[in-house]
Formats: sequence, structure tokens, C-alpha cells
Amino acid sequence: MELRVLKGTLIKNLLIQYRAYPVSFLVGNLLTGIYTSVGAWFLYHLMFRGKLSSDFVEMTGTADYMSYVISGCLVYLFVTRTCLNVSRSLITELREGTYESLMIAPFRRAEYFLGNMLVQTVTTSLEVLVSAAAGIPFGLRFTGMNAAGFLGSMLLSLYAFFAVSMVLGCIMLYTRDTYISQNTLFIFLFLVCGITFPAEYLPVWLQRITDWIPVKGAVSLIRGSTLLGKDLKDMAGTAVWVFGISTVTLAAGFLMMRKTEKHALEKMEG
Amino acid sequence: MIKAENLSKNYVVKVKGSSLLREKRTVQAVKNVTMEIEKGQIVGLLGVNGAGKTTTIKMLSTLLEPTEGVYLFDGIDAIAHPMEVKRKINMIAGGERMLYWRLTARENLWYYGQIYGVPPKALRQRMEELLALVGLSEYADVPVETFSKGMKQRLQIARGLVNDPDYLFLDEPTIGLDAVVSRQLRGHIRYLARDKEKGILLTSHYMGEMEELCDVIYVMQEGRIIQKGTALQLAASVFDRKKFLVELYDTEGSGTERLKQEILKSDPEAVVEEKSGELTITGKRDFSYRIAEICSKNGLLIRKLYEKEPNLEDTILRISSEGRAEE
Repeated sequence: MELRVLKGTLIKNLLIQYRAYPVSFLVGNLLTGIYTSVGAWFLYHLMFRGKLSSDFVEMTGTADYMSYVISGCLVYLFVTRTCLNVSRSLITELREGTYESLMIAPFRRAEYFLGNMLVQTVTTSLEVLVSAAAGIPFGLRFTGMNAAGFLGSMLLSLYAFFAVSMVLGCIMLYTRDTYISQNTLFIFLFLVCGITFPAEYLPVWLQRITDWIPVKGAVSLIRGSTLLGKDLKDMAGTAVWVFGISTVTLAAGFLMMRKTEKHALEKMEG
Repeated sequence: MIKAENLSKNYVVKVKGSSLLREKRTVQAVKNVTMEIEKGQIVGLLGVNGAGKTTTIKMLSTLLEPTEGVYLFDGIDAIAHPMEVKRKINMIAGGERMLYWRLTARENLWYYGQIYGVPPKALRQRMEELLALVGLSEYADVPVETFSKGMKQRLQIARGLVNDPDYLFLDEPTIGLDAVVSRQLRGHIRYLARDKEKGILLTSHYMGEMEELCDVIYVMQEGRIIQKGTALQLAASVFDRKKFLVELYDTEGSGTERLKQEILKSDPEAVVEEKSGELTITGKRDFSYRIAEICSKNGLLIRKLYEKEPNLEDTILRISSEGRAEE
């Protein structure tokens, strides 16, 4: 397997990002991380007066709210940045006038999207690292870090984010909208996937629905490995579930993408 | 050989209805198009805006799936096996699309080479050859965003050849270019067909370009092919009258007037117009012999005499107006 499309897309996107990535965008992303930490710090220290209910500890396994919320926000940053860029890849080609020259070529879609995902993973990892460093003064602690568990969780999470990106990409390409679709999804993920508070606080019916969103399980895996020192074996049930629903979501995304690509080409004409 | 038989394309469009909901309506953009393109041949597709040229070119280039019809590509069913076709074709469009502006010319070619799966060694060599072909070797490592329109268009040609396609689809490739660059591009197109044996389908609004380049021209109107032939054949099928231009060595104008009267005497249906000492004679006959005869008899000296062929623009305007009148 020569993976030329993957390599090509990876290098192309790296070059474009290197030449065109606005510094303000990087600062904006970092500030989002910092603001989130500040917001959580205010809530916890000034509103809750450093007190947590016992059910929070029962649900999350930790009494360290600041680490809980900042780690959740870092994962959320990862989700939004990867989803955003992988999902937007084809609609960006459409807007920049390269969509047809791409669609006329016999290229492998999986390699193309993976190439986009890899570039974004590299870029976002750097942003998340800096944001994590900014979170330390506000109380972010990885005292129970399990490196092997984190690596496994991260890989599974990337797979999950990639799957969600494919579905979001179809919606964006179909509707030719990036703002409403992405922001609606991101707000929904923020509220229901346990980013700043345990999803167990949500109504049971909503929890059952959100169980089917791979991001919720991914957040849980990363927190388990970074805050609670768990290995993947300790979280096998969640890991298998995340892998399973991500695979189903990914397959659905690729199937939908075939039809959406055709629809986009027809919409250019009709 | 590319062989399309009765290709049609329907679009479902939403239109505002009487209620708040938009109604769906089916629009037939292309109707029963039949055409052939051989390797080494330049085939033109002419028509006014909205005639269905771009939809046709996109169906043949596998970007759009035909609603009906048969499309054979070197004997392969192109509708069932689009990936087979994609390897052997490419498309060049007018304007400044189909390139990554933030990449350099070389990087653009490299990336497209990757997605076409061109082997690395062959790609390296081809990139250099193509950059030289379109005169961009010197600017190979300059970002495309700094290129002029003409340079971008030349790079597009190189991009279109990166997979060494057997057939090329050119959708208004010279649109917006100045005369010099357009001429260079026409030279490239001719070279690709004649020397490299590429089958080329060309759409353009510039009649002179089509007339100069195309071996066969299909004329489209409202989604249908309404005429096919060379530029001369198309003109002959439309214009049943010939037009001659004659000018005499005649400073006083009496000789010209005499010639005019003699022509009208011999063919009262002829239309003779005079402008700045030049006569334009239009009629069903071949007037060249008659003009020579009159001049010889009357001792008139001919400065110039030639038959004016109708150009493609006149032909298309006539075909289009006749098509509309028939409706």
C-alpha cells in the first residue's frame, strides 16, 4: 500500500497551513482554552465555594473538579478542531474552486480524509499542549496519568472524532453551510458529552441518546486514563463501545459521502 | 474513442410555489446528446449560455451521472465504471479555478500527481516537462497566488496533463485571457491533439477559436445537438447565398457604377452594395466569372476580387435564430 493520496494530502495541507495559518487563529484557540479554565475557576471557587456534591465524586471518581473540567475542555478543543477541519475539507475545496479537479481524479477518499485528519491532529496536539500548560495555574493536574491507557484512549478517540467528522462533513457539503451545522453540533456535544459536568446529570432519555455519540465515550476514556490512572483494560466496556459506534458512524459517513459528493456536483449545475 | 449515445441529464430544482413550501420541478438540461471524439481530434461544442455545454462536458468527464443514455469510453461502459475513465481523462476549465493558490506551481503538479497515482520517478520527469511546455519552469517554485491570469491558465494546462490523459475536456479555457496568451494556449491545444494524439473536447464562446481549432463542431441549443460539421459545412448548411467583394482601379467611380449595373442586369435578384469604392455582391450564383467577364469586356482593372466565406459567428447566430423561429 503506497498511500500516495494520504501522503500528498498531508503534505499539501501542512504547506497550506504553514503559509496561511493566521497567528490570530492560534491565539484565538489558545484564548478559548484559557477562558474556559478561567470560567471554570470562577464557577468552582466563587460560586460553588470549592464544594462539590457527593454524587459528583460518585459519578466521576474524582473530587478534582478543575482537572475534570479543564481536561474535558481540552478534549472538546480536540473534537472541534479536528471535526471542523476534516469536515470542512471538501466544502473548502468547493469554495476554493478545486472540488471538480479533485472529483475528476480516481483518488481514494479514505486516504484523502485521513491525510486531512493527520494534519489536524498534529496542529491541534500542539494547540492542546499549550492550552494544557495554560490550565496548570488554574488547577489542572494529571496526578493519576496512565501513559499506555492515555495512548490507547487517544487513538480510539481520534478514530471516534474522525467518524463524527465524516458525518458532519456530509451535512456541510449537502447544505453548503459550515457555520450553523458545525456550531449546532459543537454546542450539542458540549452540553451532552460530559465536557464540563457529568452526563449522568442529564435526563435518562437524553443520556441513552448521547450514548450513541462516540465523543461521549472518548471523553470518558481520556479522563479515565489521565485523571484516574486507568488502563484500557479497566475501561474495556467503554473502549469496545466507542470503537463499535465509531465504526458504524464512519461507515455511515463514507456511504453518505458518496451520495453527497454527487449531490454537490449536481447542485453546482442545477 | 468516446461515444455518447442519447445522453440526457435531468435536474430536480426547487421553485417557489404558491404555498410556503418550495415545489420540486424536473428540468431536462441535456436531451439525447449523441457525439463521438476520436484520439487526435479536436471536437468543439458550441452554444449560447444555458445551451447545455457544461452539463455535457461534465457528463463525459464523469463528474455528472447521465439520467439516460449510453456512454462508451474506449469500449468501456463509462457510466458503470467511472473510475476506469477517470484515469484516462482530465479537464481544464477557464478562469482561475482548479489550482491551490497557496502552493507553488511545482507543488500543485506534485499533489495532483499523487492523487492520480503517478509513479514518483515518472512524476518528477513529467513535472519538469510540463512546466517547460507551458513556459513556467522559471516560476516553478513561486506560489500560484502571485501568478497572472495567463500563468494560472498555463499551469492549469500542465495540471490537466499530469496524468498523461488520452482525452482532455476543455471548458472555455481561454476565457478572460488576452490575445497573446490565448494564442499561445491555442498553440498548446493544437500541439496536444496533433502531436500527442489527445482527443479533445472544447467549449468556447470565441467563434474564431473554434473555427481555428476544431475538426468537428457540435452546435447545442436548449440541451439538444442541433447541428454537426466542420465550420465550412455548418456555414454551407445554413447560407445558401454567396457573397463576393470586388474593388476596381477606378478613381472616378464610373467603372464601379458600370460593373454594378451590369451585375444587376444579369441577375436582378442579386444585392449589390457599394461602400468606399468596394462592391459587395450577394446572390445565389457564383459571380466570380461574371465579374471577370464584365471587367474584361469593359476594360476595367480589378484591384481585388474574392468570395467572403461566412464566419462561424454568423453561422451560429443564424442557426440559433432559425432554431428559435422553428419553435
